[in-house]
Amino acid sequence: MGLPKLAPAQAAHDKLKALGILALNGMFDEMDAVGVLRYAVSDVLPGDLAIVSSFGADSAVLLHMVAQVDPSMPVYFLETGKHFRETLDYVETLKRQFGLINVHAIHPNPNDVARFDPNGDLWETDPDSCCHIRKTEPLEPVTEQYGGWVTGRKRYQTVERGVLPHFELTSDDRIKVNPLAYFSDADVIEYRQKHNLPEHPLYAKGYKSIGCAPCTSIVAEGEDPRAGRWRGLNKKECGIHYDFSGAIANPMTAANRHTLWKDGAFIADPFRDWEEGTNPSEARYVHVPLPVFLANRAEFLANPHPLGLLVSPGEKIEDAEANLSRFASIAIRFPAFSDGRGYSTARLLAERYKFAGEVRAVGDVLQDQIPLMRRCGFNALVVVHEPTRQALIENRLPEVAVFYQPVGVTEIPLGTRPFLRRVS
Amino acid sequence: MGRRTTASIWKTTGMYRYDEFDAAFVMGRTAQFADQVKRRISGELSEDQFRPLRLMNGLYLQLHAYMLRIAVPYGTLSSKQMRKLAHIARTYDRGYGHFTTRQNIQFNWPKLKDIPVILEELASVEMHAIQTSGNCIRNVTTDQFAGAAADEIIDPRPVAEIIRQWSSLHPEFSYLPRKFKIAITGSPNDRAAIRFHDIGLQAAVNASGETGWEVWVGGGLGRTPMIAKLINSFVPHEHLLAYLESIMRVYNRYGRRDNKYKARIKILVHEEGLESIKGQVEAEFAEVRGGVLTLPQEELDRITAYFAPPDFADRSDDKIDVAYESIIDPAFGRWLDNNLHPHRVSGYSSVTVSLKPVGGAPGDATDVQMDVVADLAEQFSYDELRVTHEQNLVLPHVAVRDLRAVYDVLVANGLAEGNNNLITDMICCPGLDFCALANARSIPIAQEISHKFASPERQKQIGDLKIKISGCINACGHHHVGHIGILGVEKKGGELYQITLGGDATEHASVGKIIGPGFEADQVPGAIEKLVDFYIAQRQGEGETFLEAYRRLGEAPFKEALYGTA
Repeated sequence: MGLPKLAPAQAAHDKLKALGILALNGMFDEMDAVGVLRYAVSDVLPGDLAIVSSFGADSAVLLHMVAQVDPSMPVYFLETGKHFRETLDYVETLKRQFGLINVHAIHPNPNDVARFDPNGDLWETDPDSCCHIRKTEPLEPVTEQYGGWVTGRKRYQTVERGVLPHFELTSDDRIKVNPLAYFSDADVIEYRQKHNLPEHPLYAKGYKSIGCAPCTSIVAEGEDPRAGRWRGLNKKECGIHYDFSGAIANPMTAANRHTLWKDGAFIADPFRDWEEGTNPSEARYVHVPLPVFLANRAEFLANPHPLGLLVSPGEKIEDAEANLSRFASIAIRFPAFSDGRGYSTARLLAERYKFAGEVRAVGDVLQDQIPLMRRCGFNALVVVHEPTRQALIENRLPEVAVFYQPVGVTEIPLGTRPFLRRVS
Repeated sequence: MGRRTTASIWKTTGMYRYDEFDAAFVMGRTAQFADQVKRRISGELSEDQFRPLRLMNGLYLQLHAYMLRIAVPYGTLSSKQMRKLAHIARTYDRGYGHFTTRQNIQFNWPKLKDIPVILEELASVEMHAIQTSGNCIRNVTTDQFAGAAADEIIDPRPVAEIIRQWSSLHPEFSYLPRKFKIAITGSPNDRAAIRFHDIGLQAAVNASGETGWEVWVGGGLGRTPMIAKLINSFVPHEHLLAYLESIMRVYNRYGRRDNKYKARIKILVHEEGLESIKGQVEAEFAEVRGGVLTLPQEELDRITAYFAPPDFADRSDDKIDVAYESIIDPAFGRWLDNNLHPHRVSGYSSVTVSLKPVGGAPGDATDVQMDVVADLAEQFSYDELRVTHEQNLVLPHVAVRDLRAVYDVLVANGLAEGNNNLITDMICCPGLDFCALANARSIPIAQEISHKFASPERQKQIGDLKIKISGCINACGHHHVGHIGILGVEKKGGELYQITLGGDATEHASVGKIIGPGFEADQVPGAIEKLVDFYIAQRQGEGETFLEAYRRLGEAPFKEALYGTA
């Protein structure tokens, strides 16, 4: 790292100004988004950095990175009152799944709305003013509290953003951090798939850039992704993203993160998620959903490649009883940690069907349930929740170490109560 | 016999005592929860993630404050434990506690920061708050006279303790579709309302003379009251855990999770039908039967030994002449008439200590009262106490010769109401005064009714009559099984009370029927009086109870008496 480490945000900020933002932009690989973010959080503006997220089509990528680096970073969401219902749901999904603990909604001033947009149709007649009262104005008092901001803007999004750097100094002397500046559409998709990030419910319907409902439309294949925003108007930005300056950095390797926890470490996962339309005869290293397997049993059994099986709640593992040995790995899905059906499935696999391969928990896998999962026979976990990852790495799971029930195949009853008890 | 360890500090027999293993378990659980509280405060756990964890440790967020519900396993307490509860009420709450219909106690005003200390205090007397809430297997409840009642086939407490152990932090069944309640009784006279539990167990004797368990499944109250159905008429002790695990597995896998109001096992049994569920349970049982859950006789014997009856002094010649006492002291006579239950040992009696004084909040006891009852238990009841699901306390083993001494102490402390099973002995939920779910107040209704029928002569004239009051459709006050049930509902912003008739929680189980339009709060006592007056006018002698009269006459005449038209 080329910069001296300066603790107080103000000092760092002054120093950065003196050095010039240009130097900072030379420090990181184009694709090292997590590195940019981590450096910004820990060295540039510790405790003085926040993010505004639209929770739009590709917000998940940046928020996922934020959760890795600092799940308590303040995340602001402009609740303009004009969002799609799906966007509001998506806010909750991401909060829960990523473990973001500091998400705040910013609402427009009701007096402004009453005065300038009493009928709620300002977007139609004067979209700039609509953005102003619903975004720029409400955000201002919040931005004043922080020395810097993280944004998810990317060069590819519009022609205007084509020279976007990692770090910018704004006209009011704040620092904007753009970790995804160099990400392409394909990079975003790859990252999303690699980390199994939830997709915005409207993305699949053709919305590539999602803002307020009235001003967002579907974009066609090959069109600028933001072409769907304020379609038909000569408007590209809402006013909260302005002035940037800077230069471009040198390439380095991208940050890499494994989510499969097995035998005491996060390791590379040979398996990928099942994609609809995959040919059953050619599939390899994917967890085949149980219903898909049952519908194409012959093809999968003839397929010579390594395969896994994905069992979702409500599905009966008994249906595949005769073919369990076909699978190298069986993934049991927990759509929510509070859905306990997977525990029964795991016990049946281990105790009744003597399945000896990998049994992994996927989905909402959190530290407080992992001890129960292990007792029921899980021997691998896919974990994205950052505090849970830390707890696993530091080997401090919240566990009660004495058990009243003989469960699983590994619990050999020992101790004072040979019938019911085991001290681990 | 397993070894007894230093963790046992009890000087008497008659109840289960922790060994090192149990102590380590509760300590581990307390530490685990303290860590979870810390992570919640630090923000690492979201409220969504924390909620089920705190609930499984008995911690609710109520209307005004946190509420801590402490487990009283199968309703059994020692005097030392009761004194600890008094101490907690005095030190960390507002000087009282509330005994619940699941034989637990809840404190309504603890501070969050005190919770870890309270749990440590509890652990020091072998108590905890584990699984008193949450979508897991809850505290097992039983007959308050277990181990003392003259009509008992078998003492249910050893099996209840074994179920408690098996269900504690069960790794497969900690995230069920919904809460799960098991009740067990060793007597053919059901005092534990087992037919209104997710699983009810009733002692049974088979053709070979062996004792085992009838298993009832799918009962419950709440918004969809159901009487449990008999799923197996005889499960021997050794296979009981395997059978229970089979039911739990079917429920965990196939119970509804799409709608919390349809997630109890009663809905699964109702929607799929008993035969289908029975088929699934029996298929599962066929797989697990004879496996690792088989209960060896030695283990049952070992646990049973903890519950060995006290070494009763021979008092078989002692008698008490209730008629004579009633002339000398009518209040004492009433108390003897109503608050004693026949004991299996001659010369002894089980005493119900009423927590239903006229104008009081049913089930509440002050710290002083708890201490007094603890002293009485130590001195006169072989150190044993029970909590009843009807929200009273019981001194299970009082010598007849000591009844007067016990009574005098109770009188001095406002605990001598001789109203057990009478109209003022009401079950009542906390209602809108405390509960975040309630639609209406319930305690003030109970208080008004008790004032209306305060006269002891009037209560005696009316005889056995169970009134049960719930402040909302969740039915914590068991209104469905009240001979007269009262349900508070919200209507047009106000509180309105519906009256049901004919409910019964015993082996003759029935669900009460709503008799007509609801009443404003201040009209409820008058409405109850109309029903009671009509019953007295119509009954075939004093021997016919309200419930019997209702069953004989049907709904229509009661409705007419109440509303003036048929």
